[in-house]
Amino acid sequence: MPLTDIAVAVQISFTYFTIIYLTGTGGLFSERSGIVNIGLEGLMIIGTVTGAFGARFFTDDLGLGLVWGPLLGLLFGALCGALFAGVHAVATISFRVDHIVSGVVINLVAVGLARFLSFAFFAGQSTQSDPGGPHLARLDLPLLSDLPGGLGRAFSGLSPMVLIAAITVFPVWYALNRLRWGLRLRSCGENPEATRSLGVNVPLYRYQGVMLSGAFAGMSGAFLAAEVIGNWREGQTLGLGFISLAALILSNWNPLRLMFFAWLFGFAVAIPLRPGLTDFWAIRDVPPQFIRMIPYIVTIIAIAGFVGRVRPPAAAGKAYEGGT
Amino acid sequence: MASGTAVAPLAAAAARSERLERVLGQALALLASLLIALLLGALMILGYGESPLGVYARIVDGSLGSVDGIGYVLSIATPLTFSALAVAVCFKGGMFNIGVEGQYLVAMVTAAWAALSLDFLPGPLLVPAVLVAAMLGGMAWAAIPAVLKVKTGAHEVVTTIMLNGIAISLLAWAINFPLKFTEAPAGQNVDLRTDLFSDEALVGDIGQYFGVTPGAHLSWLLLLAIAVAVLVWFLLRRTRLGYEARAVGSSPGSARAGGVSIGSIQIRLFLISGALAGLVGMQQILADKGHLGAAYTAQLGFTGIAVAFLGQNNPIGIVFAAILWGILSRGEVALQIGSDVPREFIIILQGILILSVVVTYQVAKRRLAARQLQRAGAAGALEDSAAPGESAGPRESAREGPPQAFRPADGGER
Repeated sequence: MPLTDIAVAVQISFTYFTIIYLTGTGGLFSERSGIVNIGLEGLMIIGTVTGAFGARFFTDDLGLGLVWGPLLGLLFGALCGALFAGVHAVATISFRVDHIVSGVVINLVAVGLARFLSFAFFAGQSTQSDPGGPHLARLDLPLLSDLPGGLGRAFSGLSPMVLIAAITVFPVWYALNRLRWGLRLRSCGENPEATRSLGVNVPLYRYQGVMLSGAFAGMSGAFLAAEVIGNWREGQTLGLGFISLAALILSNWNPLRLMFFAWLFGFAVAIPLRPGLTDFWAIRDVPPQFIRMIPYIVTIIAIAGFVGRVRPPAAAGKAYEGGT
Repeated sequence: MASGTAVAPLAAAAARSERLERVLGQALALLASLLIALLLGALMILGYGESPLGVYARIVDGSLGSVDGIGYVLSIATPLTFSALAVAVCFKGGMFNIGVEGQYLVAMVTAAWAALSLDFLPGPLLVPAVLVAAMLGGMAWAAIPAVLKVKTGAHEVVTTIMLNGIAISLLAWAINFPLKFTEAPAGQNVDLRTDLFSDEALVGDIGQYFGVTPGAHLSWLLLLAIAVAVLVWFLLRRTRLGYEARAVGSSPGSARAGGVSIGSIQIRLFLISGALAGLVGMQQILADKGHLGAAYTAQLGFTGIAVAFLGQNNPIGIVFAAILWGILSRGEVALQIGSDVPREFIIILQGILILSVVVTYQVAKRRLAARQLQRAGAAGALEDSAAPGESAGPRESAREGPPQAFRPADGGER
């Protein structure tokens, strides 16, 4: 039944949309403030290990129940992601280390730090935690989950985080386009010298941008580990941080377009996970590994300027010599 | 007149001390970052209630305390040397090759293909053929970002990140389909992998000549890595390409003005970098395992970036940095038994080390630049007071003293 298969693939794609969109939004805040962040993958990794720990700790050890426990777990992942992003912020903003260099280091250090934290959190297990951790109750969307022909499957059994992630696009868009804070943050990313001349504390805004990127990526990682998989495993981010970066680039650093590309790439990630779907239509003859490549290939084509036009924030990645 | 002639030797000395100061500054920065990392590590060890000196001594003893240990250290250092050299070559030209990771994955695929399908070649030809296939694979993968950068301006960091993602899938596809094993031992579950390579395709063990256990898989790839490091040093320091590469890296504008074709330099550097990256995976498939499997060692390309920083992009420094990295990695073993400090401590120590290297190096660079600027200003002021209206920089006067002598004597200072 291909319709059911498509519906299930769509349902899986919503999950991956959530991961890619949250991480991409993190990157959005950082890069809009002028700090290139290729450490998103590493920030997510910290989110996975701390999120899996947090969900279990708040739910079981503190006995907060299946609503507050998992929610606080997600927030704990976000908090740890933000703290770890602080390393990137200190390096790039205070010490003016090259953004790419610092991002690479963040990704490298995250792998080791995750193992270290896991060893401390999970009684000496350094590469995974016990499976079947607590998660939020699954949600069936009203009306949509009753669609006939198996299509309803796409909208049932979703984590509430999917909805929350989808809704964040409104506050994010509003903050960046209407709030004084967001406009200043963006102008730090476009022309920090001019922004400073208006009396804006550029480093402060950039710190906020980078820490926010850590919070979003950390929450995304926590969602992946605690809500989607149910435990922490080493390497479970599988390059999703880089796919998020790809979606961010293609979106031209725009939250609404980021939503679209996050879902598109989420779907590309979901297809190979649904064997029923890969047996059908033209993709039958395409090895699943090639479908995994789609987000990266599309991004290379766009970056090379063959389709559309990619324009990053003007000052992103450049050293800013001015003070506060 | 008297002060005019005095300026020349003063400026020459300044130029010499400038270089000395830079080298000293780099060494100091490296030393400082090592100290910072060891101090922070010591604090962590104290947190576990053990003696920092004792733990450090055991780490060093675990890796350098025995011939076998040294063998392990060197075989860990082998792929990291290739990887860091690949990063450094691009870095000297002002480019950042984050794609070493993807390049060596693709190279492992082409090398595995060569090892399996060229096995009609006699032994002494087969291994070189496999190595060439690996280098070609790495070059092909590096050619994509290079050409895109030069032709379309696509930033190499973004394209190589994306190509890394593609390479992971490509390798997975290769061992799932075209290169998947055909003969598995009966009744055994085998992890996904290629067929085993013939013994003739494997690189020889050199550990046996030094009494190193075969388990360390110390191969003559180590000697190749050292030779390649010397070659890269020669390339960067003694050839026209290296000179132009450094010119492009330090100041693209003046390089272009000097008639250097930036695009062609960048493409050539990227191809060399890709070829070096191709050799990264050879230790694991040709010495450690004898096949390419799903459980390959990843992240060597990224670790190579860390090692390149640690060696400050100097080819010879990189060899030592890779060995230092190997000492730390191997030191894990010493922490496994009879210690409350978990083995993950090592990986954190490596992380702290690389963070402090990056930050102290940046701080040192800025300090040096500020001091030299200050000195140039001071020298300029001296010159101004010596000969009003004359604006020759201290360096120029250092190189060509005579013009000073031609200065009209009506300078007015006498």
